[in-house]
Amino acid sequence: MRLIMKNNIELKNVCKKYSGFELKNISFNVPQGCIVGLIGENGAGKTTTIKSILNITNSSGSIKIFGKDIKQNETEVKKDIGVVLDDSFLSEYLTARQVNSIMKDIYKTWNEGKYKSYLKKFNLPENKLIKDFSSGMKMKLKIITAIAHSPKLLILDEPTSGLDPVVRNEILDIFRKYIEEDETRSILLSTHITTDLEHISDYIIFIEDGKLVFNMQTENLLESFGIVKCSSNDFEKFDKKDYIKVKKGKYQYEVLTDNKENIIKKYNIKTIDKPSIEDIMLFYIKGEK
Amino acid sequence: MIKGLLKKDLYNISSYKTSLVIIILFCSIAIIGTEAINFGSIIICTIVGMIALSTFNYDEISKSNKYILALPTNKKEIVKEKFILCIMSVVIGGILGFILTVVVANLMNYLRPQNLINIDYETLIISTIGGMWGISLIQSIQIPSIFKWGAEKGRIQMFVILFILIGAFLGIGFLITKLSININIEMIDSLINKFGVLFLVLTMVLMYYISYKISYKIFKNKEE
Repeated sequence: MRLIMKNNIELKNVCKKYSGFELKNISFNVPQGCIVGLIGENGAGKTTTIKSILNITNSSGSIKIFGKDIKQNETEVKKDIGVVLDDSFLSEYLTARQVNSIMKDIYKTWNEGKYKSYLKKFNLPENKLIKDFSSGMKMKLKIITAIAHSPKLLILDEPTSGLDPVVRNEILDIFRKYIEEDETRSILLSTHITTDLEHISDYIIFIEDGKLVFNMQTENLLESFGIVKCSSNDFEKFDKKDYIKVKKGKYQYEVLTDNKENIIKKYNIKTIDKPSIEDIMLFYIKGEK
Repeated sequence: MIKGLLKKDLYNISSYKTSLVIIILFCSIAIIGTEAINFGSIIICTIVGMIALSTFNYDEISKSNKYILALPTNKKEIVKEKFILCIMSVVIGGILGFILTVVVANLMNYLRPQNLINIDYETLIISTIGGMWGISLIQSIQIPSIFKWGAEKGRIQMFVILFILIGAFLGIGFLITKLSININIEMIDSLINKFGVLFLVLTMVLMYYISYKISYKIFKNKEE
């Protein structure tokens, strides 16, 4: 029997043009039960993609959430989405208690008990103004607010930026638990801190200059990519189709391949380094072909 | 959803409660000092109406609109909520101003029987509604401006529009005098006495309606 994986998000040829920036034909899916990481440098188009998915910005192409067109079913679809935006939340002159009172009237499925137990768990005071919270506390509050109505889909824009490793780890734990609770849930997470994704994501989508560069399973990405370190003379022997990008140093060349088995056999390579997601991203951005 | 959005703004406004009490105290002292009781209700109504407009600033500082648009609501509800809040503020400001003026004036008459303040309720009602009309005009101009240009730039635009309006009124007045056009003042007086309140209320409704339509059109096409 063949398992059919359902998608919580389906994007087809999504385009958006601003002055000086264009999102070009972005297509990808976010399957149920998966954490999908959206990576790229600042200004690559991650936030525009998320804004398009949430219909905050008007883009062309097809965007379906839970199989429904977001533009035609906006309010209905958004009831089952939890959102964390990097630079936007309710006013900082509110308290966590007031956020609870507001959200009760926004989401029918708002779980006050769950919200308050998370506040307690993360030592977030109920009556302190949000403006007096630390960055980590603010982010935790945003995440708790996003998950307290038990949404089927979490969309997170830079949820770990500016946070120390301890808080980042706590936040990643929340995401792990959230996805483990229900296999029909999904998370789309945009970040430029790629180390976070190596631990929790199932798929990585890389966007560069408004274009989708790759969409791969994290495991495959980390297994199939490799970095060969060689001299300029050795590099001359490489066929262009066997490598993706090269970084030319004064004494050494670094070559990124997406098929390390092939390159090892073909060029009799003895050692090949395993790149991190960050290395791969940097090769794509800074490397040459 | 609108209830949640209203709560958000009311919680934000609640940070003004101390300032509001102080302002009301100053207004009361002013009423006692000048005995110009009709101004009390106008001032309080204007202040409450302006406080409602300040909720746009809170949204702008925290970039709330982007987040709110990601919640299960839509642009129509967001615009509608702002108008409900502003209309509520004008009504509450008017009632509050009227009650406060009556209470302060009666209290002073009780404490200072030798220097009675004459309370003309009819004039007080008309001046209160006049105050409500004035702040409705300001809100009706400012809300679309804020949706278009943001809270800061919107305020500048509002003053420009107000100056143009005042200039236009003065210009018409000047033309009437210059061209020696005869105006039947008695007829106007009688019309104001008969239909003044009704005219003010109807124009308030009309101003808000036009302003709402323009605001929604602007916000619908705006990118966050």
